Amino acid sequence: MKRKTNRSMKMMLTALLASSAMLAACSNSGGNNHSPNASPETAAPSTEATAEATPGTSTGTYPIKTDVTLTRWLDSSYVAAQLASVPEMENFPFEQELAKRTGVKVKYVLPAVNQAKEQLNVMFASGEFTDIMEWNFLTQYPGGPEKAIKDGNILKLNDLIDQYAPNLKKYLAEHPDVDKQIKTDSGTYYGFPFIRGDDFLKTYGGLIVRKDWLDELGLPIPETIDDWYVMLKAFKDKKGAAAPLTFISTPRLFDDLQTGAFYGAFGVKRDFYQEDGKVMFGPMQPGFKEFLTTMRKWYAEGLLDKDIATVDGKIRDANMTSGKSGASYGLAGGGIGKWLQAMKDKEPAYDLIGVPYPVLNKGDKPKFGQKDFSAPSGGNFAISSKSKSPELAVQLLDYGYSEEGAKFFNFGAEGTGHTMVNDYPTYTDTIKSNYSLNLGLYTRATGGPTIQDRRYYEQFAALPQQQAAVQTWGNTDVDKYQLPPISTTPEESTEFAKIMNEVNTLVDETTIKIILGTEPIESYDKFVEKLKQLKIDRAVEIEQAALDRYNSR
Amino acid sequence: MQMRNKMSVRQFLLKDLLRNKLLYIMMLPALAYYILFQYGPMYGAIIAFKEYSPAVGIWKSEWVGLANFQDFFSGFYFWRIFKNTLLISLYTILFEFPAPIILALLINELRSKKFKSFVQSVTYMPYFISLIVICGIVKDFTNSGGVINQLFTYIGGDGNAMLQNPAYFRPIYISSEIWQRFGWESIIYLAALSGIGQEQYEAAKIDGAGRWRQMLAVTIPGLMPTIMVLFILRMGNLFNIGFEKIILLYNSAIYDTADVISSYVYRKGLLEFDWSFSTAVGLFNSVINLVLLLLANQISRKISENSLW
Amino acid sequence: MGIKPAFADRITDRVIIVIMLVLIIVTAYPLLYVILASISDGAKMMAHSGILLAPYGFHLDAYVKVLNNPGIWRGYFNTFTIVAASLLVNMSVTSLTAYVLSRKGVFWNKTFIGIILFTMFFNGGLIPFYLVVKGTGLMNSLWSLIIPFSINTFNLIIMRTAFMAVPDSLEESATIDGANHLTIFWRIVLPLSRPTLAVMAFYYMVEKWNAWFYASLFLKDRDLFPLQLVLREILISNSTDSLLGSVDLVSAVELSESIKYATIVVATIPILCVFPFIQRYFVKGVMIGAVKG
Repeated sequence: MKRKTNRSMKMMLTALLASSAMLAACSNSGGNNHSPNASPETAAPSTEATAEATPGTSTGTYPIKTDVTLTRWLDSSYVAAQLASVPEMENFPFEQELAKRTGVKVKYVLPAVNQAKEQLNVMFASGEFTDIMEWNFLTQYPGGPEKAIKDGNILKLNDLIDQYAPNLKKYLAEHPDVDKQIKTDSGTYYGFPFIRGDDFLKTYGGLIVRKDWLDELGLPIPETIDDWYVMLKAFKDKKGAAAPLTFISTPRLFDDLQTGAFYGAFGVKRDFYQEDGKVMFGPMQPGFKEFLTTMRKWYAEGLLDKDIATVDGKIRDANMTSGKSGASYGLAGGGIGKWLQAMKDKEPAYDLIGVPYPVLNKGDKPKFGQKDFSAPSGGNFAISSKSKSPELAVQLLDYGYSEEGAKFFNFGAEGTGHTMVNDYPTYTDTIKSNYSLNLGLYTRATGGPTIQDRRYYEQFAALPQQQAAVQTWGNTDVDKYQLPPISTTPEESTEFAKIMNEVNTLVDETTIKIILGTEPIESYDKFVEKLKQLKIDRAVEIEQAALDRYNSR
Repeated sequence: MQMRNKMSVRQFLLKDLLRNKLLYIMMLPALAYYILFQYGPMYGAIIAFKEYSPAVGIWKSEWVGLANFQDFFSGFYFWRIFKNTLLISLYTILFEFPAPIILALLINELRSKKFKSFVQSVTYMPYFISLIVICGIVKDFTNSGGVINQLFTYIGGDGNAMLQNPAYFRPIYISSEIWQRFGWESIIYLAALSGIGQEQYEAAKIDGAGRWRQMLAVTIPGLMPTIMVLFILRMGNLFNIGFEKIILLYNSAIYDTADVISSYVYRKGLLEFDWSFSTAVGLFNSVINLVLLLLANQISRKISENSLW
Repeated sequence: MGIKPAFADRITDRVIIVIMLVLIIVTAYPLLYVILASISDGAKMMAHSGILLAPYGFHLDAYVKVLNNPGIWRGYFNTFTIVAASLLVNMSVTSLTAYVLSRKGVFWNKTFIGIILFTMFFNGGLIPFYLVVKGTGLMNSLWSLIIPFSINTFNLIIMRTAFMAVPDSLEESATIDGANHLTIFWRIVLPLSRPTLAVMAFYYMVEKWNAWFYASLFLKDRDLFPLQLVLREILISNSTDSLLGSVDLVSAVELSESIKYATIVVATIPILCVFPFIQRYFVKGVMIGAVKG
């Protein structure tokens, strides 16, 4: 009886599936009705598919002649501001021009803001993808890139890059350090990278303080935790700042401090780092307790934002531009530049300065700080295993690594995005007048499948305050302590993801509860016990093995 | 003998089918819906006993038996989310369930018809505000500087964002529920009240009962069947706290009191890509619901002769 | 009759009236606050905390921004489409089914009811449900928010109860006149159950009006987002970018506060205006149908 119902149910499902597959084929093919399915296992495309996708053109020549429309998924929070003025991403000037130059039409799929992870998740769960997916598979896919390939979600790209991506191939051959960062231990390429083409571009964020307040109060630039205490206290008492120090806590608690601001003074981070080749987990170290004690004191005295667990970018901007806060974490462009620009007319005295990452004793060199790798998100432009034209997607993505392509990504088209002044691609007035909106509309200088140009940053962060800040922030020992972009093996990855999901929840909870004072500082010891119960030692072991493998790549 | 019996059953079925042909046809859309969208997912729920991998599909994924359930029961957060789910439900029943009854009784005592309908109109209003908006308002009002937060400082609040403090989550959750629903839910009781015969009141009056006695002797007994039916339904959903409101309101600072089974399922399944595990937890939740409902129905049948079926 | 209420009684009356007034204030004030805040000066609202009894000035900038935002209008349009189509699907499927289930002497009805009741308290879970919906190919269309939610079992049960209350004698005489089930359903049962139908329609409407979660999973095209999903970005994720367009940061910061409130008003007032009309039907319907559970 039971079996019978089961079977009929299956039959019905099958029937529906079949009909829906037909429907889908009719509705969104857009001329894409030819190429045979590339199976997930065989990364190399069949020759006939290739022949059809690029009839008569050799790779590396654009525009490509094709009538295939590719689909591309990305987290819309990156382009939320742009979508406000141009509701369809296809109509962004940059995307239109890109389609013209490459000859490839792209349909963009954008989830609701802050709903990206959920949507990607169900897409994966159901085996339904766009051709190109933009996601950090290294840190945001439980199990990492090898697992994503094993799960049949994305393609192993080695052969495809070899055959169809001459520009990226050339760059990687010339830059073995980047090559190392975007491969897994077994040498698998899983996506196209966004590359920071210059060391100058790798540091762009740090702590920012109201310079005019410092001067007015006669305070020095804060270096130690004690300096900070004195300064914040003065901000509160003398400048009436309701939330002297504020920073963003979304999507994860204390997100702004993840690169080690404040934590670093106590020798820790909120996650893994290395000391002499040995992997350490910050919250397990005694320094973490000291960090909590300090922050708890600051919070109790009203030096931290009262809503610190829920502050987001909007609130932070509001606080920093309304005198509610005098210190925050921010970026040279999206912090210093944005706020100075905003206050220019309203409050001419308003000034900001990037200050060093705090330390405990004067003269120490900060242990951590924000510094990207050359490929900060690994290979984050992946290609779906279900894609019908993976070779075309590869060709499209490869464009940004050519000389012409990189220039286009960084500076947009000549005329609309930039003009050449003394052989220097200078952004047009349109872009300069509103970087935060128009850079995203006319270029894809940050985060695209391309090599970022230092001349982008020279212009974008041209204010003296910004230039100085980048210098200050860059002066850390982070190279020594930061973990490289290591990846776990598919076997270990599930276990690692399981452990870390629970661990991170516990770390966040304990952190905020101790700081807000809802739990006594002594509960830290219990917390360490609990971490052990959650098998944190096993996680450290897995990371250690991954680091060892990385070092011997 | 057996043979004949079988034949007659078959004949009977055939006859029934022919006679009610049209009815069965009318039933088809619903049947399709239930099979596909209700029982279909139940079939899919076998991934709770597997290590689901989309690449190979539901059927071919590897069986892991009860491993996912064991993981959950022995898991670090099992008791916490179990307790939170139970407590939020119990408090809701304790505070939210009686609210519309009390309101209905009060409205019933009002003499002015105009005022009556005015009260009703105003108290119904929040019901029409969408969940998203409600949560937006709640977040805004309880943040530092928000109205509720400020009012709360007069009676000893510390002025910090209230949704950061685990102690406040349940009161906030439940009072916003009451605020939104009590007016609307009172309708059903008011309807039941209007069904109580006037002669019962007259009889009570003749017996010398005052207003208070009338309420106890006539009104409340008259409401009892309605209350019981709604109560059973509520019990059946004791463990069925929707995650939508929770995930719109919570943050990691208050998981301690705010994280419930369904929100945990949501996080595991949709944010941490742990599909099989998430489904296992959801299944567990479903089973508890079913048991509770059956239990509540049994008990109610025993003590008050009211039951759902 | 002419007997004056006792003194104690009058006191009780007063007390009840006072309680009611307090309830009214508590219920209505949050809404009033939102309205006041939405027309206030953004900068002053940011500095403000606590009770608000009058607006800071009278500014409609926030409304201009909200009403000029295509997302809100599109959201409204999509939501209306969903609500209208859902009403059609939900009501027809539910009432047909309720009719069948309310008939006597249908052999399989018991089984049907068992099958149906079971789903009220047991379901397969989110991921399996998603897989099924995806399998139907409805994904990324508004239908994905309609067809997979064709029946709310709770509503179905209520409707069945109402249909059962229709006097048998009416149907019998119709049958004698040669009417078949469709005729009885259409000419007798439905008209006699109008109040209940109104209630059900109303329940379905509220359900659809509120729905956002599945929309966020099933829809990939921003053009299709229903109003609530747009609201979520603005109110919960605090992402007012899409409304602000290109204004400078300071005004953006100041405006986004009032924009939030204005958005709430714009997204709530229309339904609050409709509800007195629905309410009248609703109360009638509840009296007749729902009391019996």
